[in-house]
Amino acid sequence: MSATVVVIAELVDGRLSGATREAIGVARSIPDATIVGFAAGSAAPSAAAEFGRFGIARAFAAPDPRLDTGYPAAVARSAASAATGAGASVVVVGGTTFGRDLAGRLAVAWNAAAATGVTELAAVEGGLRVRRPVFGGRATETRRLEGARAVVAPRPHAFAVPPESPANCSVETLPPADLGPLAEPKRTAMESAAAGSGPGLTDAAIVVAGGRGVRGPENFHLIEELAASLGAAVGASRAVTDAGWRPTSFQVGQTGRTVSPQLYIAVGISGAIQHIVGMVSSRVIVAINSDNSAPIFRVADYGIAGDLFQIVPALTAEIRRVRGLG
Amino acid sequence: MTAEQESLRDAARKFARTEMAPHAAECDRTGRFPEEIYRKAFELGLMNLNVPAEHGGSGLGPVEQCLIVEELAYGCGGMTTSIIANCLALEPIILGGTDEQRTRFLDPFCAQYQLASFCLTEPSGGSDAGGLTTRARKDGSDYVLDGEKCFITNAPHASLYTVFATVDPALHHRGITAFVVPRATPGVAPGKDEDKMGHRASSTSTVRFDGARVPAANRLGDEGEGFALAMRTLDQTRTPIGALATGIAQAALDHAAKYALERRTFGKPIGEHQAIQIKLANMAQSVRAARLLTWYSAWTIERGGKGTLESSIAKCFASDAALRVADDAIQTFGGYGYMKAYPVEKLLRDAKLTQIYEGANEIQRTVIARELLRGYA
Amino acid sequence: MEIVVCVKPVPEADTRLRVSADGRTVDPENVKFVLAGYDESAVEQALLLKEANPGSKVRAIAYGPAPRTEEVLRAALALGCDEAIWVEASGDAASDPVSAARALGPSVGGLPHDLVLCGKQAGDDESGLFAGALGELIGAPSFGYVTDLRWDAGAGRFRFQRAAEAGAERWESPAPIVVGLQQAWNDPRTAKLPAILKSRKAPIARAPAPPAPGDAPASRPEKFELPPPRTGAKMIDYATPEEAAQKLVKILREEAKVFP
Repeated sequence: MSATVVVIAELVDGRLSGATREAIGVARSIPDATIVGFAAGSAAPSAAAEFGRFGIARAFAAPDPRLDTGYPAAVARSAASAATGAGASVVVVGGTTFGRDLAGRLAVAWNAAAATGVTELAAVEGGLRVRRPVFGGRATETRRLEGARAVVAPRPHAFAVPPESPANCSVETLPPADLGPLAEPKRTAMESAAAGSGPGLTDAAIVVAGGRGVRGPENFHLIEELAASLGAAVGASRAVTDAGWRPTSFQVGQTGRTVSPQLYIAVGISGAIQHIVGMVSSRVIVAINSDNSAPIFRVADYGIAGDLFQIVPALTAEIRRVRGLG
Repeated sequence: MTAEQESLRDAARKFARTEMAPHAAECDRTGRFPEEIYRKAFELGLMNLNVPAEHGGSGLGPVEQCLIVEELAYGCGGMTTSIIANCLALEPIILGGTDEQRTRFLDPFCAQYQLASFCLTEPSGGSDAGGLTTRARKDGSDYVLDGEKCFITNAPHASLYTVFATVDPALHHRGITAFVVPRATPGVAPGKDEDKMGHRASSTSTVRFDGARVPAANRLGDEGEGFALAMRTLDQTRTPIGALATGIAQAALDHAAKYALERRTFGKPIGEHQAIQIKLANMAQSVRAARLLTWYSAWTIERGGKGTLESSIAKCFASDAALRVADDAIQTFGGYGYMKAYPVEKLLRDAKLTQIYEGANEIQRTVIARELLRGYA
Repeated sequence: MEIVVCVKPVPEADTRLRVSADGRTVDPENVKFVLAGYDESAVEQALLLKEANPGSKVRAIAYGPAPRTEEVLRAALALGCDEAIWVEASGDAASDPVSAARALGPSVGGLPHDLVLCGKQAGDDESGLFAGALGELIGAPSFGYVTDLRWDAGAGRFRFQRAAEAGAERWESPAPIVVGLQQAWNDPRTAKLPAILKSRKAPIARAPAPPAPGDAPASRPEKFELPPPRTGAKMIDYATPEEAAQKLVKILREEAKVFP
């Protein structure tokens, strides 16, 4: 039976953001889904039409300029109208602060069950089954979202971005919603995050760490370039920080930081217990080391035994290629 | 444990793990006296535990004190020694002071962060406290103190000293008299901080009294009652030392047990090797016994018992246990245990003092034997 | 200023997690429940605003089962909250933040509220859904990821920052608002011993949970899993570094489901 899934757009410079494309990927993972787009704000009509790039044939636009700031409480009213109008059973929002704020409001405004940070999704009898990390990634829960309606937000990097397959998208315009007191808050300024400063080590979804195998501070740029290609944080083993190749704030391990990212790539790190305890709760661990009997391969999920000076640049190039970074 | 006791224990645990433990290694390495941590302890009500609430203290009984002291010692034994040194110094005032003295001394003392020192030990005798030589010469309505005390916790930083001096050496312990001496008294001079094996976050020094004039109104009890007051004081403060030793021992056990699960030799975690298992089993028994003996002593005192026998047993057993457990913990870590970068060698150095201070274990054993035999006489 | 702080009991941060007997949730046996981390910041911010605006009142409210919920409300009282209200939940009804918002909505709506504060997310489920759902229920604007929350008494407006991915947004809004707090002005204070002892005897008001309508959508826990023990890396065969790279990226996307 076909389910209608509405994807709520988040706009960057009037275009659909990366998080929105991931949300489309989430919608795609629901079998037999008819996907409908939704965009809000002054740029809504053109943004809504952009859903056509991903083969989506129908979208709603709420071109209310009050919604330009992307203030979720206000967007929720229009989004709920769109979802009801489309007869949707699922709404997907982006895995972002906007998406999660919106999901809470929509759950009540649209009378739905909700889940954020979702890594897996399946349609089941009477609803949706979702899987999501909890307790800082130390455990995973599976929940049933029961009832006719569900709102989901993915965990970043957990769903594939669908390829483009252009189609004509017909856009329906929604009248402005009655916001009442929700119209009062005003955004007074917007300060962009400093470009080039990657995510902090302890919050990062992906960490690339370098060890003694990197041989010297002059080679650490290989680690940093791999990290940059992934949008990852950079870490180091104690050998590296003790040798002064990087500051102690980079150290992952028993006497340094503990991290639990989605993906931890250990490059030239042998895997002494003192390092392992700092990263062992990462969801996926990849190790690259020239010694195939190095202890790191006991805790890693995937391993490449080889010369990191060849492997890492090749990996960086491949990541940049698939991410379209040129 | 009542819900109240659990809350107190949890509050002390949180303070120990978030405020004390992160700085323990640095203070141990440098010998720094972390005044900012002691101030926080005061602000949270973790100091002056034994002082009745009407005088501004926390007014906690022996059991609650043990719960708190064990948790603090888990964070750092040295810092705990300085925190509870106030309890030791103020106990003679609580036990032996008149109502007027208690109000006059305790109320202003507890109203703000300050430290106090209990001055009994002298170069000529620690265990032989009855033979102390510091003189208190009566002069009009004052006493003039002359002499030297040593190994006094908090002395360089204290604003108040509880001093035991003799009005007549010929009377031996029956001449000993207790006095409350403010730091500002002319003739009172704490010495330089000693460079100690352990408890390095705590400050210890001599205190010299040179013609220090103290009004008779600062005398606690009558002349000659000081020795008995000191012994009654130690009856109260011995049990928390058992708790302090237990806290150190528990920390050592935790480190060793976690390491035994992580460290692998001969293809498996060392916790699966019998030699280590036997060590851990012995350590666990020692810690459990130390804690229960300490709790039993506290419970006895809470019920109005004198507690000399029970508290001596608790202090003696727990301190010996702490030393054994810390030693075994180092052994479990092997070579790494010998390195200062790892936390276990500090625990051995901290445990050692618990066998020596607040009544050396040799004295504890004679006290235990004497009290024991009294029960059979 | 009338402030309501919504708090949640969660397992202490470094608890060793175990799976319950029925496999559906975390095993609460031997688990110490405390105020969720960001909730501590929310309580702190509420108390700071109370201190800055004399005459203010801070009421803590929580939805959850006995005895953990009562414990965290006492912790909130020990920190300095004026009143505590407990809406009791049975089973794992409190495990869904949207249900929790529905359970607390009528009580929060019925209390005087210029500001409703909660942590940006709870230490266990980390969903960030609560503030938005509660805001929609009581008809007030809501904002998550808030730092630097200020009350401008002259203008009669809250001024605050919101930490979004693109950067820091600055907002202003009249009361009332619901805030999911990320950071208070200060680190959360620690309760003092006398206050802890006093909080043990303080009364905690009880409020009923509204009955859920028959067709209410629900989120129910089905399974709680700890990661499987690692058995050793799958080594990637390759002839050239390029092949190794391609294989790894493919595995990450298709098998490990991590999409860089």
